[in-house]
Amino acid sequence: MAANQKPVDKRSQKAASGAARSSRSWRHPLRSWVSSHRDSTRLALRRIGDYPFSTLMIVLVMSIVLALPMGLAVLIDQVERLGIDWQRAAQLSVYLEDGVEADAAQALQAEIEALEDVASTQLLDRELALAEFQQHSGLGDALQQLAYNPLPDVILVMPQSIEGGASALQPLRDRLAQLPGVDEVQIDLLWVERLTSILAMFERFTGGLAVLLVLALLLVMANTIRLAIESRRNEILVIKLVGGTDAFVRRPFLYLGVFYGLLAGLLAWLLLAAGLSWLNVTVRQVAALYQSDFALSGMPLADGLVLLAGAMLLGLAGAWLAVGRHIRDIEPR
Amino acid sequence: MIRFDQVSKRYPNGHQGLDSLSFHIRTGEMVFITGHSGAGKSTLLKLIMCMERPTSGHVHVGGQNLRDLGSHDIPYLRRQVGVVFQNHQLLFDRTVFDNVALPLIINGTPRDEIGRRVRAALDKVGLLKRENMYPISLSGGEQQRVGIARAVVHKPALLLADEPTGNLDPELSAEIMGLFEDFNRVGVTVIIASHDLPLIAQLDHRMLTLSEGRLLADGD
Repeated sequence: MAANQKPVDKRSQKAASGAARSSRSWRHPLRSWVSSHRDSTRLALRRIGDYPFSTLMIVLVMSIVLALPMGLAVLIDQVERLGIDWQRAAQLSVYLEDGVEADAAQALQAEIEALEDVASTQLLDRELALAEFQQHSGLGDALQQLAYNPLPDVILVMPQSIEGGASALQPLRDRLAQLPGVDEVQIDLLWVERLTSILAMFERFTGGLAVLLVLALLLVMANTIRLAIESRRNEILVIKLVGGTDAFVRRPFLYLGVFYGLLAGLLAWLLLAAGLSWLNVTVRQVAALYQSDFALSGMPLADGLVLLAGAMLLGLAGAWLAVGRHIRDIEPR
Repeated sequence: MIRFDQVSKRYPNGHQGLDSLSFHIRTGEMVFITGHSGAGKSTLLKLIMCMERPTSGHVHVGGQNLRDLGSHDIPYLRRQVGVVFQNHQLLFDRTVFDNVALPLIINGTPRDEIGRRVRAALDKVGLLKRENMYPISLSGGEQQRVGIARAVVHKPALLLADEPTGNLDPELSAEIMGLFEDFNRVGVTVIIASHDLPLIAQLDHRMLTLSEGRLLADGD
């Protein structure tokens, strides 16, 4: 068929500039590929511009669904970091036996402080402890009735290093427990470890939630793109009639999915940043009540970028789900 | 250019579109396909475009047996054919320029060349001044000429037209036919399905007459 084409004379004209042609020949497919993608991008953007309301709807839905698990993950991460800080404040409580005299207790404190694994110690006198307890527990009168002081002397031991958590402190605990006059030694880390395992549970919950929401998002995206394809049915027919490949027809819709994802990712980022700083007001108040200066550190940049990339990928995947079937089904008859 | 070998097409609803049809159209010919509605004119064109597949027999286009074409090859076949439809098949949300540029965009023509060739095609059909208008604001005859410009902009070797003058008055119809003759004169093979017998009679070209899917007559 090509032999029949008219531009025979044109070809001979072009043969004169043969060198220019051959240097162009490899660039032409690349250039047309690039310009085809540029056209698809333009079409996708035009669709977003033509249907601002439906774009807003899908982007809102997507961003809320994205922000939920991402927000939970960020919160859990920050509370976890708080838990690590608390671990750093870990200490051992050394309870002394009844009948240990004050001088003996002080000698014991000095002996413990001299151990190489120990950073510092503090002796809590049993009389002082009782007085404090009477004041703060609201059991003042009841405690007055007691014939003797039930509280033991306590030496608080701050270890040199808390790397490795409770299990790493075990040898020090055993050593302290063998000292004469020591009744019992407790590692005050248990509650931190409980917190950590509760957080692990929440993390798992968030992971499961994220999987479900991502599935829902894929379906929402696939349905949105399917509607977009349906509303352009006539255009797709014409493009196929004049020789457009499935890939050519598909491309603008894939870009549309990516752009929806991008917008939803940006909006989710904004929602999370605003939500975290809104939450931070009360977090600071609560932390202040506990004499802590803990505060949420806002939305981390890396997490935001992951959110954006994930949202775009989701958009693409959802669009891919829709175009695969529907574009093949639209054939000129 | 085009050869039909004992081609039959039976539709799932039992309708016999074509019945053992055989003919040959040489490169550079201009041929009219006529017959009553339902005689198989549209089916014939659809088989050439691979919009339908024959139930039996072989269709050859440009030396290629269409039976050997997979569904991935079909777009490349269609790029070598220009088609004009009775209902124009224009995209109403795009300008005249963008409508005509569509085949060039699809086959990856460089951008600077697209502008040149679209304007050449629009100039040929006398619509150069309308390039920035939308098809909806054009008359029926003008819309049909946009369709023709789109069909020839990528310089196909084969031009098909299905009832291109269906909705036009005799004067406009003669004008449109004149355009097709111009393209044929520069070497394009032209096949036009039409039941406008008075108009065809004025023109001196080969005519295939179909009736109930069979070839009734073949001659000038």
